[in-house]
Amino acid sequence: MEELAKYAPILAPILIIQLILFIVAIIDLVRIEKTNGPKWLWALIILFINIIGPILYFVVGRRSN
Amino acid sequence: MSQWMTLLQKEMLEMWRNFKWIWVPITFILLGVKEPITSYYMPQILDAVGGLPEGAVINIPTPTAAEVLISGLSQYTTLGVLIIVLTTMGIIAAERKSGVAAMILVKPVSFHSFVTAKWAGSMILMWLSFFIGYLSTWYYTGLLFEWIPFSEFFQSFFFYALWLTVILTVTVFFSASLMAPGMSGFISLAVAIIISLVSSTLSNWLEWSPAQLTTYANEILMDKEIPDSTLPASLLAAVCIILLLYFSVFIFRKKELAA
Repeated sequence: MEELAKYAPILAPILIIQLILFIVAIIDLVRIEKTNGPKWLWALIILFINIIGPILYFVVGRRSN
Repeated sequence: MSQWMTLLQKEMLEMWRNFKWIWVPITFILLGVKEPITSYYMPQILDAVGGLPEGAVINIPTPTAAEVLISGLSQYTTLGVLIIVLTTMGIIAAERKSGVAAMILVKPVSFHSFVTAKWAGSMILMWLSFFIGYLSTWYYTGLLFEWIPFSEFFQSFFFYALWLTVILTVTVFFSASLMAPGMSGFISLAVAIIISLVSSTLSNWLEWSPAQLTTYANEILMDKEIPDSTLPASLLAAVCIILLLYFSVFIFRKKELAA
């Protein structure tokens, strides 16, 4: 517990940022009409691949038009 | 001018709509924060991973704050460049493919302001994201190691951002001159890699190469003074940016009129 308290102020902001990225990706995936490739696959990628998953979705998965 | 501002605002709005204003800064922050934290916790990480024979002692010298910042910066020349190229490769090519460009250009909008507004929009995004990301690297380095003076941080930021702007402009240029976004992204990445490889191997002869700006930024952090060749290198970078923009407008106009 003491260990955790020591690391918390350093790691907490990163976790929060990561969470924001994750939530934004999920919200966008729910609202978007069509993705590049099957939608359920992107849901799995965002859910299970940490950090890289949401970024990959924004870079590759979104269809711009 | 007001027309240009309108185009820029449209560009900003579009980047909001496709969440670029959220995920690009966040990605840059995560990229920048990784380095100071992993180098600080390296002994703990090695402990936790284990697999070392009993009694093995590994002495990892604690890196100095400047070294941590430099290796943090090097993240931006690899993954950062990749993200910049991937986000900007489509800005003109994809719009032309989808017909949005034609829709805008039937109105009395000059090709010149169309291309430069797009370039300016993505440049603002890139500079802000890089600033936020590098600021977080600097903050975490200060927290975990030592504080680097803000003036040195800012100087190294500026020269690094200048080199990233050159890469961004190269991407815009290929995006305007080629039809396919993927192709333009690939070629811009190849150009960026070749330029930095050539200038780092021939660094004695190519002191004025814009790719050397990254080396000079590192030297600023290490030696606390600006190297002599920084001025010609940044001037050349500025000239490259202006020329590339001019040619992208020129080629884009020619292609669009022919189509």
